[in-house]
Amino acid sequence: MGKGIIGLYEHADDTIKAAEKLKDAGYRATIFSPVPLVHEIERSRMGERPNYIKWFVLIGCLGGLSFGFLFTLITSAMYVLPRGGRPIFSMTPTLLLSYETTILFGVLWTMFGFLVIARLPVFFKKSYDPGVKVDSFGVLVEDLQTDKHKEIERIMHEFGPTEVRLIENEQP
Amino acid sequence: MPAVILQLRKVTVDKRTYSEVNKDILRLMTKTGPGYYAALGIVASLAGILFFLPWAYQIYRGQGVTGLNVPVLWGVYLVNFVFWVGIAHAGTLISAMLFITKTPWRRAIARGAETMTLFALILVALYIFIHMGRPWNAYWTMPYPNQRELWLNFMSPIMFDVFAIGTYTTSSAVFLYFGMIPDLASLQHQTTGWRKKLYSTLSLGWRGTDAQWTVHGRATMFFSSFIMPLVVSVHSIVSWDFALSLVPGYSQTVFAPYFVTGALLSGLAGVMLMFTIMRWAYPFLTKYVTDYHYDRVGALILALSLVWSYFTCMEVFTGLYANTSLELEHLKFKILTLPYFKLYFLMIFCNSILPLSLIFKKLRVSRPFMLFLCIFVLIGMWLERYLIVPNALSRKFLPFMWHDYTPSWVEVSITLGALMFFVSLFMVSIKLFPVISLFEVKEDIGIPMKHEHRKDGA
Repeated sequence: MGKGIIGLYEHADDTIKAAEKLKDAGYRATIFSPVPLVHEIERSRMGERPNYIKWFVLIGCLGGLSFGFLFTLITSAMYVLPRGGRPIFSMTPTLLLSYETTILFGVLWTMFGFLVIARLPVFFKKSYDPGVKVDSFGVLVEDLQTDKHKEIERIMHEFGPTEVRLIENEQP
Repeated sequence: MPAVILQLRKVTVDKRTYSEVNKDILRLMTKTGPGYYAALGIVASLAGILFFLPWAYQIYRGQGVTGLNVPVLWGVYLVNFVFWVGIAHAGTLISAMLFITKTPWRRAIARGAETMTLFALILVALYIFIHMGRPWNAYWTMPYPNQRELWLNFMSPIMFDVFAIGTYTTSSAVFLYFGMIPDLASLQHQTTGWRKKLYSTLSLGWRGTDAQWTVHGRATMFFSSFIMPLVVSVHSIVSWDFALSLVPGYSQTVFAPYFVTGALLSGLAGVMLMFTIMRWAYPFLTKYVTDYHYDRVGALILALSLVWSYFTCMEVFTGLYANTSLELEHLKFKILTLPYFKLYFLMIFCNSILPLSLIFKKLRVSRPFMLFLCIFVLIGMWLERYLIVPNALSRKFLPFMWHDYTPSWVEVSITLGALMFFVSLFMVSIKLFPVISLFEVKEDIGIPMKHEHRKDGA
């Protein structure tokens, strides 16, 4: 990853406004925050993000459901336990077991989807400021040519930042 | 809007408020006085003496050292098993159910409750092995083909149990870790040495971008929606271990909701007991776990206790209406025979009568009273399981099978030792991981805004 300019703010609404303005000026701005600002960002001009994780969850659930069904049914087919005329393929345990495996696989795939979409774990260095994980809000613009620096810094300064600086790669 | 939240909102939220949260939690994790070491030393050695040594003795001598004998083959170990599954339900109730219902006060206590869930489930797993006559053959339960053709019988409720509890343990561990990622990322810059290394590795490089927070929120929603039905199914399935049999006193259709309610009741009492002790040991936690939490949890305990009392009545009435000599004999033994008569009414006092006092707000926010009440509720809930599990077997069908059960010293010692083991696990974990969720508490305090104000919502 290249260099970037980060602006740190004390207030969440300033941060979002700065990001909106940067977006209007045609830059890709990333907002950092120590708390989730999902509602605020959705309401702003930054817009809602696409919801991809639901597909991971769906795959997990369907996989778990079919695993549960196949596991119980194949087991009863391979090792027949005659129980006084009762059905060999019984519905109750099959449904119960597949209910549990649906949830198990669903949970695991949700976690997997979260890691994929949030791009975790990170193995290379990415730029940010440690403060954004504790008490500051930040806007970052990355991958830019040197001639744009002035304009970005000007936009960031409009909303009263505590700090605007050029950052190099930092350890995630 | 609830009073305390409003009160919190009046505080001007700025940079300092947020860094103070980090400082407080770090203080809880890193500043360790001699009192902590002394307490941990005592608890851990008690766990060794009361839990591990008797268990080793039991493995060496066999199950004969317990009070178990035909026909009472399910004794205190399974009572404890059910009890700890119940305690494990609190984390899920507080984090998942209250998340879905958008209850704001859940945030400060959710992480602690989830941690309790995980450790309680560790004990649950241990009790299965303790109860096994030959624990070294535990791998026989694994579903793989072998030359003895020992395949799994999926008709057995015990088999449902394996899957339910396995799923629950995995899901709680994943959910606990998932929620901790932003907090570990936040702490990694304020720590040094091995802690820094540990937190940097575990936080996976979380940066807190808006994309990450969005998917974090959505994933939390999915986790909660999965775990909520899971938790109901887990204790229902545990109750079917009993209810799907034909033993009088076990085969009750009311057992599934009865057990789930009881589990939530004991779980909440467990969480409040734990937070009361922690607040006493670390007074600055009063900022995060406030009177308001006590008030709300107290109200929830009251509601659950009323539901529980209803089910307890129903259990007796179902037996009476069945009007078979088997059911009546069991009821007579459980409610009217002497040692159990006292235990039964102690249980009613602990779980039905005493919680009624929570109708007064003064008592709900009084910490000594809540401490006292939570201990009694836990005792009552343990007794409930005790009165069901071995007691029904003691009066099984015909009188020639009747047999009274008394737990031996090994069983009593393992019961107490396991509690000590749980406490020591918990004490170690509060020093390793943030027991109060940093980002959720920050959200609770409010988001610093110059112009607009945020409407509350989970």
